[in-house]
This record gives sequence, C-alpha cells and structure tokens, in this order.
Amino acid sequence: MKKESKIILNIKVDVKSALPIYEQIKRAIKIAILSGKFKDGDKLTSIREMAIKLKINPNTIIKIYTQLETEGYVYSRPGLGYFIKKDKGNLDKDKYEIFKQETFDYISKVSELGYSYNEILKIVKKYFKGV
Amino acid sequence: MIEINNLSFKFGKLRIFDNFNLEIPKGEVVLITGINGVGKTTLLRLIAGVLKPLKGEIKFSNEISSDPRRSIGFISDKLSLYESLTVSQAIDFHKSIYGVSNFDDFLIKFTKIKKYQKLKQLSIGQRAIFHLSLILSTNPKILLIDEIIHSIDVYLRNIFIKELIKLISEKMVTVVLVNLNFYDIENILDRVILLKNGEIAVNEKIGTLKTKVKKIISTNSTKSLPVISQIDYLDHSEYFIYPYKENYRKEFDGEVIDLNLTEIVSAFIGGEYA
Repeated sequence: MKKESKIILNIKVDVKSALPIYEQIKRAIKIAILSGKFKDGDKLTSIREMAIKLKINPNTIIKIYTQLETEGYVYSRPGLGYFIKKDKGNLDKDKYEIFKQETFDYISKVSELGYSYNEILKIVKKYFKGV
Repeated sequence: MIEINNLSFKFGKLRIFDNFNLEIPKGEVVLITGINGVGKTTLLRLIAGVLKPLKGEIKFSNEISSDPRRSIGFISDKLSLYESLTVSQAIDFHKSIYGVSNFDDFLIKFTKIKKYQKLKQLSIGQRAIFHLSLILSTNPKILLIDEIIHSIDVYLRNIFIKELIKLISEKMVTVVLVNLNFYDIENILDRVILLKNGEIAVNEKIGTLKTKVKKIISTNSTKSLPVISQIDYLDHSEYFIYPYKENYRKEFDGEVIDLNLTEIVSAFIGGEYA
C-alpha cells in the first residue's frame, strides 16, 4: 500500500471562534499549500484520516475538499483521493489576498491597543533584523 | 432512514408523545436534546424496539426493515449486558447469538480490559467501549447512543469518537445520540433536534442552526424580534434570537454574537424554564 503524504498538517480547530470550523480548516490547508509545504501532485490527507484526526464529521471534510477543488487548490482522482494542484497565477493572487487579510487583522488589533503607525513600523523592522 | 409516523407513547397516565413525526436521513449523525424528562431516552428506546409504541409506527429503509433489531446497535449505561459473564464468555455468547464468525478485539486492547474480568467489574467507560466493540462486529446500520459519551474518561472518549467517525465515513451508518453535553461531539454532528413538550421545537442541520440562532447584546428592547430567551443585566440585556435574519440589524442598536452549540441549546432550554 502506498504511503500517504508525509506532510503533516498541524491544524487546530477552535470551537469558540466565530469562523466556522470548515472555514478554519480550509484556510489552514490553503496556507499550507501557499506556503510551499506541498509539492505539485502531493496527496492530501484522506477524508477519513483528516476526520479522525480533527474529530469532525467526514461530511465536513468532503465539503472542504470539494470547495478546495472548485477553487483550484486540489484535484480529485476517483478512488485515490485528493492531490495538490499548483496553478501558479491563481495561487499567487490568493496568497496575496491572505497576506493582505492577515496584515489588516494584525493592524486593526494593535491599533485598538493604541499603537501608532510608527510604532508598528518599528516593531516590524525589529522583527526582520532579528533583534 | 428512520421514519417515525404518528407515534404515541405513555408511561401510565403520563403522555410523552402524541402523534409525533420525525424523519432521520440515512448516514446522518443526529443529536437529540431537550430538558430532562422530555422523552429523549424514551424516543431512542422506541427506535431500538426496546419499548413498543401505543400508536403509530417506526419504519426503516429497505436494507434493514427485514430485521431491524439486528441492524440497530443501542449503547446505554443502563443497559445490562451479561453481568456475571467474563469478557471472553460474553464475546462467545454474542458471537453465537448473532452468528459472528470473526470478532475483532482491537478496541478492547486499548482499554486495559482483561478477558477474564467479569462484566460487572468493568468501569462505565470500559463497558461502553466493550459494548461498542460487540456492536461493531454485527455491522449495524443504525447506532443509538444514550448519554454515555461524557461518562467516559477523556482517553476512552477519544477512542470512542474516532470509532464513530470511522463508522460514519466507511459504512454510512446513521447515528442518533442523546446528550446534554456537547463538548467533543459538536463537530461530528450533522443535525440537531430539540424536543419540547413531546414535540420537535428545532430540527436543523448544524450549519444552518448556527446561522439562525444569534445573541444580540443591546440596551434597548428588541420586541419585534423572535426572542427565545433573554438574560437581563443592569444596563443591558442579552437576547437569544431564532430564527435570526440579517435585516434585523436595522431594528436595534447593539452587537450580534455567534454562538456555539452549548450556548444555542442553553438559549432554548433557558426559554423553557423562564
């Protein structure tokens, strides 16, 4: 039997989050794909394995995988499972979308704490200098 | 599929169900909940055939209607197994009754159950797992689980839930759970049914339910909205709304909050005790 993808997806589901669990998991898988954890054609964890690991209904995983397929992240091979599809143009756009969203989320959170543009810039620079 | 038509049932003079109707689609994981005494366990026992309805019928899809008892697994902490038998005697007995040739004891190995132990010496969690492994060997099409998941310790509960997920994904088993505690099981549910006074107050897919039940925190009254219950504080109130619609936002000043299943059920149950 062929071994499934060696890439370990470490997804944490937060039941209290306002974001529905299927959105949380979908986003985590997208980020894993966009960050280059997977190579083109890598097999995605099977529906059954993913359901057991995350302790969620397999129907929810089916819904997530189907949506990822529609959005062009994966393709299915009947009887074999889902595989990563790296369609360059499309993925770059999505990657930028997530980058933008995460950045906005961060800025709105720290602004609420009262930090200014300059203070944010300062800490970002500091991070990149590795200080 | 489980189809309940015009079901009536009484305990002595106490009416539990009167012309009760319900359809449970094949392969769904359904939670039945409601306040104590509403008839959740009674409903499970009626489906299992342990209790007989006064009136009405319970029908199953073709694949199981020939011999429903054989296709239904019923797990309950109240169900007495073969108390004085040892684990291995119980397995042999079970195999002979159900004509099971190969019994897979992989689940038992996880639980530290010894085959020479008598069943009455097992803990609730061990019994649940043992009972589940007996049931699995008969390939049930329907699994009924009464209030047992949260009497099991967290390690055995994980094993139990993982087995459930395997059953759902591989065999399209219909699972009906009665539970008052939703932690750990919320994400495996397809549907939630809330019973109230012998009737169905809510019957929704879980995703739909979450979009339809919201909490509104507001300082002014929300009289025009369908409030199922409310909690009053000195300077504001929390209103639980069902069914919620997006255009309600125009009708009050305040914040709309998403709820998890525990909060949703509390909101409905709170309304019943108010």
